[in-house]
Amino acid sequence: MPQVRIIAKNFMDMVAALPAMKLDKLYENAFICEAILRSLPPLAKKYVLQLLCIEVPVTAKSMEEWVLPDGVSKHRVAIDRLIQLRIFTETVDRKRETTYTLNPIFQTNLKKLLVHGVVLPREPMPSNITVRLPSLEDLQAFALEQWECFLLQLINSSQSERPSNISSSMMKTFQRGLLSQRDREAPRLTDSGFQFLLMDTNAQLWYIIREYISNSEERGLDSADLISFLLELSFHVTGEAYNINTLNERQKNIIKDLADLGLIKLQQGRKDSWFIPTELATNLSVSLTDSSSRKQGFVVVETNFRLYAYSTSKLHCEILRLFSRVEYQLPNLIVGAITKESLYSAFENGITGEQIISFLQQNAHPRVAERVPSVPENVTDQIRLWETDLNRVEMTPAYYYDEFPTRELLEGASDFARGYNALLWEDVNSKKTRLVVKAENHVHMREYLGRQRQ
Amino acid sequence: MASAASKLYADDVSLLMVLLDTNPFFWSSSNLPFSKFLPHVLAFLNSILLLNQLNQVVVIATGYNSCSYIYDSSSDSNQGSDHGRIMPARCSNLLQKLEEFVIKDEQLFKEGSREGISSSLLSGSLSMALCFDEQIYRGFFDQGHFILNLAVTMHAMQILCLQGSSDGPEQYVAIMNSIFSAQRSMVPIDSCYMGSSNSAFLQQASYITGGVYLKPQQPNGLFQYLSTVFATDLHSRAFLQLPKSLGVDFRASCFCHKKTIDMGYICSVCLSIFCKHHKKCSTCGVLKLLSVLYALCFGWVRRITT
Repeated sequence: MPQVRIIAKNFMDMVAALPAMKLDKLYENAFICEAILRSLPPLAKKYVLQLLCIEVPVTAKSMEEWVLPDGVSKHRVAIDRLIQLRIFTETVDRKRETTYTLNPIFQTNLKKLLVHGVVLPREPMPSNITVRLPSLEDLQAFALEQWECFLLQLINSSQSERPSNISSSMMKTFQRGLLSQRDREAPRLTDSGFQFLLMDTNAQLWYIIREYISNSEERGLDSADLISFLLELSFHVTGEAYNINTLNERQKNIIKDLADLGLIKLQQGRKDSWFIPTELATNLSVSLTDSSSRKQGFVVVETNFRLYAYSTSKLHCEILRLFSRVEYQLPNLIVGAITKESLYSAFENGITGEQIISFLQQNAHPRVAERVPSVPENVTDQIRLWETDLNRVEMTPAYYYDEFPTRELLEGASDFARGYNALLWEDVNSKKTRLVVKAENHVHMREYLGRQRQ
Repeated sequence: MASAASKLYADDVSLLMVLLDTNPFFWSSSNLPFSKFLPHVLAFLNSILLLNQLNQVVVIATGYNSCSYIYDSSSDSNQGSDHGRIMPARCSNLLQKLEEFVIKDEQLFKEGSREGISSSLLSGSLSMALCFDEQIYRGFFDQGHFILNLAVTMHAMQILCLQGSSDGPEQYVAIMNSIFSAQRSMVPIDSCYMGSSNSAFLQQASYITGGVYLKPQQPNGLFQYLSTVFATDLHSRAFLQLPKSLGVDFRASCFCHKKTIDMGYICSVCLSIFCKHHKKCSTCGVLKLLSVLYALCFGWVRRITT
């Protein structure tokens, strides 16, 4: 279940998994060098800086001398990461001595960055051509609206009022893993889908971008190209206009998709058209290192199980509908009730009570967020109770053994099973000799009984 | 005597205060001219800002008559993250401010018309660096909505002194007080000393606050020293072997003639140090001073008593 969260963070694993050729090509862009440097563990950053001006190979032994005994494991992690990303090349010479050299392309690019700085491939357009540029607030509102619209479409395709241009096949790949579809039923949110909705926007964005990149090959795009373009995009300035003609054909196709996600806004002038990166785009490289921004909460839960959500967003309404009965909706307020039935349907979808409680707590309205606990205790307790109600019977796959020839064999077998902590039930007192053992230990039991028989 | 307690740092975000010595009397006689020294420093500042987008660098110029803030990286990050324009702008901005400062500093000298001051106003710039920390704290309380941003910066502050000129014994008390307040707020003071002989003040500062004192053997490779030793963030310091000073010069200056001494008289009440026996302490007015000579280690005495 926490799989989604891990995926969202390990973007660099994806970069590291690129073939060597592509990775080297990636490093030709100084911005990517910078973004990758920033995503490294602290110790690895330090090593890169230390070796920046050293052109000869450095022995592994001398590198280890820099590290205190406490830091050996961190040192290993850092070195492994650097080798994985091909920033360090490891060579073992005849005397069996390991040496490291910094990737020369990476090295020269970083040096250039330090001394001269580098210029983006495109300059922002002068303000006399771009007439009606949106203000930063408008841009942010646009990005959020676009993103929310996309999420709404993602979880509930029929509800979206203005369908975006993202092709349905692409939508399907995004939905993979988040929704489960049984025959002839409407698709339902899985538990990881729910978890996805609970993540902050940056993490959600990375999950989607990751999916987008990983199936780029199917659409005839080079994943290295895509990664480098996305990282480059994150170094553009929010709110500035950039001419679309500076992009090549492939990138033009990409930005159409990105505009649907709210990463950039496209505008058409009299002659030229241009794109404006929003905060979502410029935060791409920031979110590589994990700095989460907290959104302001909007939910108030009362002790009578009623739920008031101060939100105009349809997405929020959809999320609340997953586990509560929405009673009425005012322009800026959603009122609902948490009922046994609404929770049961949530549990059926694989959403756990803890997830619901943590959602309510994380999104608590500022007025109640100061209170401890932010969600009334009787409500959280009741949610947990209703959940355990469903799980009164615990199912464990098991094997049933009977007709033991002697009582000694039965006792021996039950002791053996106890040793594995696998004994579920034994019947010693009656004349029938019976034993139930967990299915996963059947192999051991069979071996044991076979040995006893000989 | 153990050096300062170290905190645990969760990440590698750091706020670095660089105190830059601009004393013309030193740089005119130095092996490494100021014009060659500065590129090393600029590259170092750039590399700190490159390592993490949340890193912040503040430069304070230490003149021989005054000191002043000349650069703060948080002021240019507002303009967006466009390095193409920021990097050269950053350097020219810094250089321009530096020039203005040096000219102003020289004018102050003419007014004061004292001859050949070989020491810089380190005490002033140290206090300014620590006040910057305080400002952040205050800003933190004033503006609740900046909590996230400032909570990061206020914990991982470090001070780096790039000092060349020799110690000014008349600043002894002020410097010591700055060192102790840095120690109390757990701000390590690193020092890179470019002069010919060691600086007792900086050795003590780094030792007491748990920073690193280094005197580069080859000043031409300054950038390598800076990036190897001083670019280490506080988080990584727990795992790395950093240069340790072999011996620290703990000598103090007397309060009466500002001479550096290793034996002296101490007031039993306020711990003021004197090179000669006085009947009355000039600091607190107590009549009887201790008549015994003490091997002086001012920092040490102060640590025991506070």
